[in-house]
Amino acid sequence: MGEIDRIAEILHKHRQDPRYLLAILLDIQESENYISIEAMRTVAEHLGISESRVFAVVTFYRALSQKKKGRRIIRVCTGTACHLRGSAAVLQELEKQLAIKTGGVTEDGEYTLETVNCVGACALAPVVTSGENSFGRMGPSKAAELLAEGAFA
Amino acid sequence: MIEITINDIPLKVEKGTTILHAAQANGIDIPTLCNHEGLTLDGNCRLCSVEIEDMGNKKIVASCMFPITRNISVETETERVRRARNTVLQLLVNRNPKAPIIQQLCAKYGVDREERFALEPDLCIRCGRCVRACEAGGTKAIELVGRGFDRHVAPPYELETDACIGCLSCATVCPTGKITYEETPGKRKIWYKEFDVLQCKRCGIYFATKEMLDWAGRPENDRDHCNHCQKYIESVKFLTESQKK
Repeated sequence: MGEIDRIAEILHKHRQDPRYLLAILLDIQESENYISIEAMRTVAEHLGISESRVFAVVTFYRALSQKKKGRRIIRVCTGTACHLRGSAAVLQELEKQLAIKTGGVTEDGEYTLETVNCVGACALAPVVTSGENSFGRMGPSKAAELLAEGAFA
Repeated sequence: MIEITINDIPLKVEKGTTILHAAQANGIDIPTLCNHEGLTLDGNCRLCSVEIEDMGNKKIVASCMFPITRNISVETETERVRRARNTVLQLLVNRNPKAPIIQQLCAKYGVDREERFALEPDLCIRCGRCVRACEAGGTKAIELVGRGFDRHVAPPYELETDACIGCLSCATVCPTGKITYEETPGKRKIWYKEFDVLQCKRCGIYFATKEMLDWAGRPENDRDHCNHCQKYIESVKFLTESQKK
Protein backbone atom coordinates (compact mmCIF):
# COMPACT_ATOMS: atom_id res chain seq x y z
CA MET A 1 0.00 0.00 0.00
CA GLY A 2 1.45 3.36 -1.03
CA GLU A 3 1.29 6.70 0.72
CA ILE A 4 -1.75 7.79 -1.29
CA ASP A 5 -3.73 4.72 -0.26
CA ARG A 6 -2.77 5.03 3.38
CA ILE A 7 -3.83 8.68 3.41
CA ALA A 8 -7.09 7.81 1.67
CA GLU A 9 -7.74 5.27 4.41
CA ILE A 10 -7.02 7.85 7.14
CA LEU A 11 -9.38 10.34 5.48
CA HIS A 12 -12.05 7.66 5.29
CA LYS A 13 -11.70 6.98 9.02
CA HIS A 14 -12.61 10.54 10.02
CA ARG A 15 -15.76 12.51 9.41
CA GLN A 16 -15.49 14.88 6.47
CA ASP A 17 -15.56 18.04 8.57
CA PRO A 18 -12.93 20.79 8.88
CA ARG A 19 -12.78 20.35 12.65
CA TYR A 20 -11.11 16.97 12.19
CA LEU A 21 -8.19 18.60 10.41
CA LEU A 22 -5.75 18.22 13.29
CA ALA A 23 -6.81 14.63 14.04
CA ILE A 24 -6.28 13.70 10.39
CA LEU A 25 -2.88 15.41 10.26
CA LEU A 26 -1.75 13.63 13.44
CA ASP A 27 -2.74 10.30 11.93
CA ILE A 28 -0.86 11.07 8.73
CA GLN A 29 2.18 12.10 10.76
CA GLU A 30 2.06 8.81 12.62
CA SER A 31 1.63 6.73 9.49
CA GLU A 32 4.14 8.53 7.22
CA ASN A 33 6.51 10.14 9.75
CA TYR A 34 5.98 13.44 7.97
CA ILE A 35 3.38 15.41 6.06
CA SER A 36 4.13 15.91 2.41
CA ILE A 37 2.85 18.74 0.24
CA GLU A 38 0.75 16.19 -1.66
CA ALA A 39 -0.77 15.04 1.65
CA MET A 40 -1.64 18.62 2.61
CA ARG A 41 -3.23 19.19 -0.81
CA THR A 42 -5.28 16.02 -0.49
CA VAL A 43 -6.48 16.91 3.01
CA ALA A 44 -7.41 20.47 2.00
CA GLU A 45 -9.42 19.24 -0.93
CA HIS A 46 -11.10 16.50 1.10
CA LEU A 47 -12.18 18.87 3.88
CA GLY A 48 -13.04 21.73 1.54
CA ILE A 49 -10.67 24.17 3.22
CA SER A 50 -7.84 26.26 1.79
CA GLU A 51 -4.35 24.85 1.41
CA SER A 52 -3.02 27.88 3.27
CA ARG A 53 -5.11 26.87 6.30
CA VAL A 54 -3.72 23.33 6.29
CA PHE A 55 -0.19 24.67 5.86
CA ALA A 56 -0.69 27.08 8.78
CA VAL A 57 -1.76 24.22 11.06
CA VAL A 58 1.11 21.97 9.95
CA THR A 59 3.68 24.70 10.62
CA PHE A 60 2.13 25.62 13.98
CA TYR A 61 2.32 22.30 15.81
CA ARG A 62 5.63 20.74 16.68
CA ALA A 63 4.02 17.31 16.58
CA LEU A 64 3.60 17.76 12.84
CA SER A 65 6.63 17.72 10.61
CA GLN A 66 7.28 18.55 6.99
CA LYS A 67 10.56 16.67 6.98
CA LYS A 68 10.56 12.92 7.17
CA LYS A 69 11.33 11.78 10.70
CA GLY A 70 12.97 8.56 11.82
CA ARG A 71 10.86 5.52 12.70
CA ARG A 72 11.72 6.01 16.36
CA ILE A 73 11.86 9.41 18.01
CA ILE A 74 14.06 9.97 21.03
CA ARG A 75 13.14 13.04 23.00
CA VAL A 76 15.49 14.46 25.59
CA CYS A 77 13.84 16.73 28.12
CA THR A 78 15.60 20.08 28.45
CA GLY A 79 13.14 21.55 30.94
CA THR A 80 14.44 23.37 34.01
CA ALA A 81 14.76 20.36 36.32
CA CYS A 82 16.27 18.11 33.63
CA HIS A 83 18.63 20.86 32.56
CA LEU A 84 19.92 21.30 36.10
CA ARG A 85 20.43 17.57 36.44
CA GLY A 86 22.54 17.37 33.31
CA SER A 87 20.26 16.72 30.34
CA ALA A 88 22.68 18.67 28.12
CA ALA A 89 25.33 15.95 28.61
CA VAL A 90 22.74 13.25 27.80
CA LEU A 91 21.77 15.07 24.64
CA GLN A 92 25.40 15.52 23.63
CA GLU A 93 26.11 11.81 24.16
CA LEU A 94 23.09 10.76 22.10
CA GLU A 95 24.13 13.18 19.34
CA LYS A 96 27.56 11.54 19.37
CA GLN A 97 26.23 7.97 19.40
CA LEU A 98 23.69 8.58 16.64
CA ALA A 99 26.08 10.85 14.72
CA ILE A 100 23.34 13.44 14.18
CA LYS A 101 22.47 16.87 15.49
CA THR A 102 19.33 17.55 17.48
CA GLY A 103 16.40 17.58 15.07
CA GLY A 104 18.23 15.34 12.60
CA VAL A 105 17.52 11.85 11.34
CA THR A 106 20.05 9.00 11.29
CA GLU A 107 21.24 7.89 7.87
CA ASP A 108 19.29 4.61 8.04
CA GLY A 109 16.09 6.53 8.87
CA GLU A 110 15.75 4.73 12.17
CA TYR A 111 16.10 7.49 14.77
CA THR A 112 15.18 11.12 15.16
CA LEU A 113 16.62 13.05 18.08
CA GLU A 114 14.60 15.89 19.52
CA THR A 115 14.38 18.00 22.63
CA VAL A 116 11.23 18.60 24.61
CA ASN A 117 10.66 21.39 27.10
CA CYS A 118 9.03 19.42 29.92
CA VAL A 119 7.33 16.06 30.15
CA GLY A 120 5.97 16.66 33.64
CA ALA A 121 8.14 14.03 35.31
CA CYS A 122 10.64 16.37 36.93
CA ALA A 123 11.15 14.02 39.91
CA LEU A 124 12.77 11.59 37.46
CA ALA A 125 15.06 14.20 35.91
CA PRO A 126 16.79 13.99 33.55
CA VAL A 127 14.16 12.25 31.44
CA VAL A 128 14.37 10.75 27.97
CA THR A 129 11.23 9.56 26.23
CA SER A 130 10.79 7.37 23.22
CA GLY A 131 7.42 6.40 21.82
CA GLU A 132 5.21 5.48 24.78
CA ASN A 133 8.13 4.84 27.12
CA SER A 134 10.03 7.18 29.38
CA PHE A 135 13.39 6.66 30.99
CA GLY A 136 14.27 8.55 34.17
CA ARG A 137 17.47 9.44 36.05
CA MET A 138 19.36 9.37 32.79
CA GLY A 139 23.07 9.90 32.41
CA PRO A 140 25.28 9.92 29.32
CA SER A 141 26.58 6.36 29.80
CA LYS A 142 23.16 4.98 30.71
CA ALA A 143 21.64 6.61 27.65
CA ALA A 144 24.36 5.13 25.43
CA GLU A 145 23.77 1.72 26.99
CA LEU A 146 20.00 1.86 26.44
CA LEU A 147 20.55 2.96 22.86
CA ALA A 148 22.91 0.05 22.22
CA GLU A 149 20.35 -2.36 23.70
CA GLY A 150 17.71 -0.94 21.36
CA ALA A 151 15.59 0.09 24.33
CA PHE A 152 14.50 3.33 22.68
CA ALA A 153 11.69 1.86 20.67
CA MET B 1 -30.46 53.05 22.20
CA ILE B 2 -28.03 52.84 25.07
CA GLU B 3 -26.67 55.79 26.98
CA ILE B 4 -22.95 55.74 27.62
CA THR B 5 -20.23 58.23 28.32
CA ILE B 6 -16.86 58.45 26.63
CA ASN B 7 -14.42 60.78 28.40
CA ASP B 8 -17.46 62.16 30.31
CA ILE B 9 -19.23 63.06 27.04
CA PRO B 10 -22.76 61.57 27.13
CA LEU B 11 -23.63 59.62 23.98
CA LYS B 12 -26.49 57.50 22.73
CA VAL B 13 -25.49 54.46 20.71
CA GLU B 14 -27.16 51.52 19.05
CA LYS B 15 -26.89 48.27 21.02
CA GLY B 16 -23.95 46.20 19.78
CA THR B 17 -21.91 49.15 18.51
CA THR B 18 -18.25 48.73 19.41
CA ILE B 19 -16.62 51.30 21.66
CA LEU B 20 -14.21 52.15 18.86
CA HIS B 21 -17.04 52.87 16.40
CA ALA B 22 -18.90 54.99 18.94
CA ALA B 23 -15.75 56.96 19.68
CA GLN B 24 -14.79 57.47 16.05
CA ALA B 25 -18.31 58.54 15.13
CA ASN B 26 -18.05 61.26 17.78
CA GLY B 27 -14.60 62.48 16.89
CA ILE B 28 -12.78 60.83 19.80
CA ASP B 29 -9.39 59.57 18.75
CA ILE B 30 -8.36 56.01 19.60
CA PRO B 31 -5.24 54.63 17.89
CA THR B 32 -5.56 51.32 16.01
CA LEU B 33 -3.36 49.08 13.91
CA CYS B 34 -4.99 45.71 13.31
CA ASN B 35 -8.47 47.17 12.89
CA HIS B 36 -9.77 47.78 9.38
CA GLU B 37 -13.34 48.73 8.64
CA GLY B 38 -13.72 46.30 5.76
CA LEU B 39 -12.37 43.29 7.62
CA THR B 40 -13.42 40.96 10.41
CA LEU B 41 -12.46 42.02 13.93
CA ASP B 42 -9.43 40.41 15.44
CA GLY B 43 -8.32 42.54 18.37
CA ASN B 44 -4.75 41.34 18.32
CA CYS B 45 -2.72 44.56 18.39
CA ARG B 46 -4.24 45.85 21.68
CA LEU B 47 -3.39 49.40 20.73
CA CYS B 48 -7.01 50.50 21.01
CA SER B 49 -7.18 49.62 24.70
CA VAL B 50 -9.49 51.80 26.76
CA GLU B 51 -10.62 51.69 30.36
CA ILE B 52 -14.28 51.06 31.02
CA GLU B 53 -16.39 51.12 34.13
CA ASP B 54 -19.05 48.45 33.88
CA MET B 55 -21.37 47.96 36.89
CA GLY B 56 -18.73 49.33 39.24
CA ASN B 57 -15.83 47.32 37.82
CA LYS B 58 -13.03 49.09 36.03
CA LYS B 59 -11.10 47.19 33.42
CA ILE B 60 -9.00 47.58 30.29
CA VAL B 61 -10.63 46.27 27.11
CA ALA B 62 -9.82 46.33 23.40
CA SER B 63 -12.29 48.95 22.19
CA CYS B 64 -12.46 47.55 18.65
CA MET B 65 -13.85 44.24 19.94
CA PHE B 66 -16.10 45.46 22.75
CA PRO B 67 -19.78 45.65 21.82
CA ILE B 68 -21.79 48.08 23.94
CA THR B 69 -24.73 46.24 25.48
CA ARG B 70 -25.43 48.30 28.61
CA ASN B 71 -24.63 51.59 30.27
CA ILE B 72 -20.87 51.88 30.64
CA SER B 73 -18.50 54.76 31.00
CA VAL B 74 -15.39 54.76 28.88
CA GLU B 75 -12.13 56.61 29.44
CA THR B 76 -9.58 56.74 26.63
CA GLU B 77 -6.76 58.65 28.31
CA THR B 78 -6.36 57.41 31.87
CA GLU B 79 -2.97 56.56 33.36
CA ARG B 80 -3.81 52.86 33.07
CA VAL B 81 -4.69 53.22 29.39
CA ARG B 82 -1.50 55.14 28.73
CA ARG B 83 0.57 52.43 30.40
CA ALA B 84 -1.10 49.65 28.45
CA ARG B 85 -0.80 51.51 25.16
CA ASN B 86 2.80 52.52 25.73
CA THR B 87 3.81 48.95 26.55
CA VAL B 88 2.25 47.79 23.30
CA LEU B 89 4.04 50.52 21.38
CA GLN B 90 7.33 49.82 23.15
CA LEU B 91 7.16 46.16 22.09
CA LEU B 92 6.14 47.05 18.55
CA VAL B 93 8.87 49.63 18.08
CA ASN B 94 11.44 47.17 19.34
CA ARG B 95 10.71 44.60 16.71
CA ASN B 96 9.66 47.05 13.98
CA PRO B 97 11.78 50.19 14.51
CA LYS B 98 11.56 51.22 10.85
CA ALA B 99 7.81 51.01 10.33
CA PRO B 100 6.63 54.57 9.62
CA ILE B 101 3.24 54.17 11.29
CA ILE B 102 4.82 52.87 14.47
CA GLN B 103 7.34 55.71 14.51
CA GLN B 104 4.46 58.17 14.13
CA LEU B 105 2.48 56.57 16.95
CA CYS B 106 5.54 56.54 19.21
CA ALA B 107 6.12 60.22 18.53
CA LYS B 108 2.47 61.01 19.16
CA TYR B 109 2.32 59.18 22.48
CA GLY B 110 5.82 60.01 23.62
CA VAL B 111 7.30 56.51 23.56
CA ASP B 112 11.09 56.32 23.32
CA ARG B 113 12.54 53.06 22.18
CA GLU B 114 14.38 51.19 24.92
CA GLU B 115 16.23 48.37 23.30
CA ARG B 116 14.82 45.10 24.65
CA PHE B 117 15.73 42.16 22.51
CA ALA B 118 18.23 41.44 19.81
CA LEU B 119 15.90 40.55 17.00
CA GLU B 120 16.21 41.20 13.32
CA PRO B 121 14.32 44.43 12.63
CA ASP B 122 11.12 43.64 10.81
CA LEU B 123 8.19 45.49 9.35
CA CYS B 124 5.52 42.87 9.96
CA ILE B 125 3.57 43.25 13.19
CA ARG B 126 1.60 40.02 12.67
CA CYS B 127 -1.73 41.84 12.78
CA GLY B 128 -3.11 39.50 10.14
CA ARG B 129 -4.86 42.23 8.18
CA CYS B 130 -3.49 40.80 4.94
CA VAL B 131 -4.72 37.33 5.85
CA ARG B 132 -8.16 38.65 6.69
CA ALA B 133 -8.28 40.68 3.46
CA CYS B 134 -7.37 37.60 1.43
CA GLU B 135 -10.04 35.63 3.27
CA ALA B 136 -12.63 38.37 2.74
CA GLY B 137 -11.96 38.23 -0.99
CA GLY B 138 -12.53 34.48 -0.82
CA THR B 139 -9.15 33.54 -2.24
CA LYS B 140 -7.52 32.45 1.05
CA ALA B 141 -4.09 32.34 -0.53
CA ILE B 142 -2.02 33.44 2.48
CA GLU B 143 -1.93 32.61 6.16
CA LEU B 144 0.12 33.30 9.26
CA VAL B 145 2.40 30.28 9.44
CA GLY B 146 4.87 28.99 12.00
CA ARG B 147 4.85 30.06 15.61
CA GLY B 148 6.68 32.28 18.05
CA PHE B 149 9.45 34.39 16.56
CA ASP B 150 9.20 32.45 13.30
CA ARG B 151 5.58 33.37 12.71
CA HIS B 152 5.15 35.09 9.39
CA VAL B 153 2.75 35.47 6.50
CA ALA B 154 3.17 33.09 3.60
CA PRO B 155 1.31 31.31 0.83
CA PRO B 156 0.96 27.52 1.19
CA TYR B 157 4.34 25.69 1.24
CA GLU B 158 6.09 29.08 0.73
CA LEU B 159 5.62 28.57 -3.00
CA GLU B 160 3.57 30.25 -5.67
CA THR B 161 -0.02 29.17 -5.44
CA ASP B 162 -3.00 28.89 -7.76
CA ALA B 163 -5.10 30.48 -5.02
CA CYS B 164 -3.40 33.88 -5.37
CA ILE B 165 -4.99 36.08 -8.04
CA GLY B 166 -2.57 39.00 -7.69
CA CYS B 167 -5.23 41.46 -6.50
CA LEU B 168 -2.87 43.24 -4.06
CA SER B 169 -5.53 43.40 -1.32
CA CYS B 170 -2.94 42.15 1.17
CA ALA B 171 -0.46 44.89 0.26
CA THR B 172 -3.20 47.50 0.31
CA VAL B 173 -4.34 46.79 3.86
CA CYS B 174 -0.87 46.22 5.34
CA PRO B 175 -0.41 49.01 7.91
CA THR B 176 3.38 48.95 7.93
CA GLY B 177 4.33 48.41 4.29
CA LYS B 178 5.80 44.96 4.87
CA ILE B 179 4.06 43.38 1.91
CA THR B 180 5.72 44.49 -1.27
CA TYR B 181 5.33 43.59 -4.92
CA GLU B 182 6.98 44.36 -8.20
CA GLU B 183 5.00 46.12 -10.85
CA THR B 184 6.19 46.87 -14.36
CA PRO B 185 3.89 47.72 -17.30
CA GLY B 186 1.92 44.55 -17.98
CA LYS B 187 3.63 42.46 -15.29
CA ARG B 188 3.13 42.05 -11.57
CA LYS B 189 5.00 39.88 -9.11
CA ILE B 190 3.77 39.07 -5.61
CA TRP B 191 4.06 36.02 -3.34
CA TYR B 192 6.57 34.33 -5.68
CA LYS B 193 4.08 34.44 -8.52
CA GLU B 194 4.15 36.41 -11.74
CA PHE B 195 1.00 37.81 -13.32
CA ASP B 196 0.12 39.40 -16.63
CA VAL B 197 -1.73 42.65 -16.09
CA LEU B 198 -4.28 43.58 -18.75
CA GLN B 199 -4.31 47.03 -20.27
CA CYS B 200 -7.50 48.97 -20.86
CA LYS B 201 -7.91 49.54 -24.59
CA ARG B 202 -9.58 52.90 -24.06
CA CYS B 203 -7.66 54.73 -21.32
CA GLY B 204 -4.50 52.66 -21.33
CA ILE B 205 -4.21 51.91 -17.59
CA TYR B 206 -3.17 48.46 -16.44
CA PHE B 207 -6.29 47.50 -14.53
CA ALA B 208 -6.40 43.85 -13.52
CA THR B 209 -4.70 40.50 -13.77
CA LYS B 210 -6.21 37.74 -15.84
CA GLU B 211 -6.63 35.72 -12.64
CA MET B 212 -8.65 38.52 -11.00
CA LEU B 213 -11.09 38.58 -13.90
CA ASP B 214 -11.30 34.78 -13.86
CA TRP B 215 -12.11 34.97 -10.16
CA ALA B 216 -14.75 37.66 -10.78
CA GLY B 217 -16.26 35.52 -13.53
CA ARG B 218 -15.85 38.13 -16.25
CA PRO B 219 -16.28 36.46 -19.68
CA GLU B 220 -13.11 35.98 -21.74
CA ASN B 221 -14.50 38.09 -24.61
CA ASP B 222 -15.24 41.04 -22.32
CA ARG B 223 -11.86 41.98 -20.93
CA ASP B 224 -10.80 44.94 -23.03
CA HIS B 225 -11.71 47.79 -20.71
CA CYS B 226 -11.22 48.83 -17.10
CA ASN B 227 -14.24 49.34 -14.87
CA HIS B 228 -14.47 53.08 -15.48
CA CYS B 229 -14.27 52.80 -19.26
CA GLN B 230 -16.64 49.85 -19.24
CA LYS B 231 -19.21 52.00 -17.45
CA TYR B 232 -18.58 54.90 -19.81
CA ILE B 233 -18.99 52.73 -22.91
CA GLU B 234 -22.17 51.19 -21.60
CA SER B 235 -23.71 54.52 -20.65
CA VAL B 236 -22.90 55.99 -24.07
CA LYS B 237 -24.47 52.95 -25.67
CA PHE B 238 -27.56 53.32 -23.48
CA LEU B 239 -27.94 57.01 -24.26
CA THR B 240 -27.60 56.67 -28.04
CA GLU B 241 -30.08 53.82 -28.05
CA SER B 242 -32.64 55.73 -26.00
CA GLN B 243 -32.22 58.78 -28.28
CA LYS B 244 -33.02 56.64 -31.30
CA LYS B 245 -36.31 55.69 -29.69
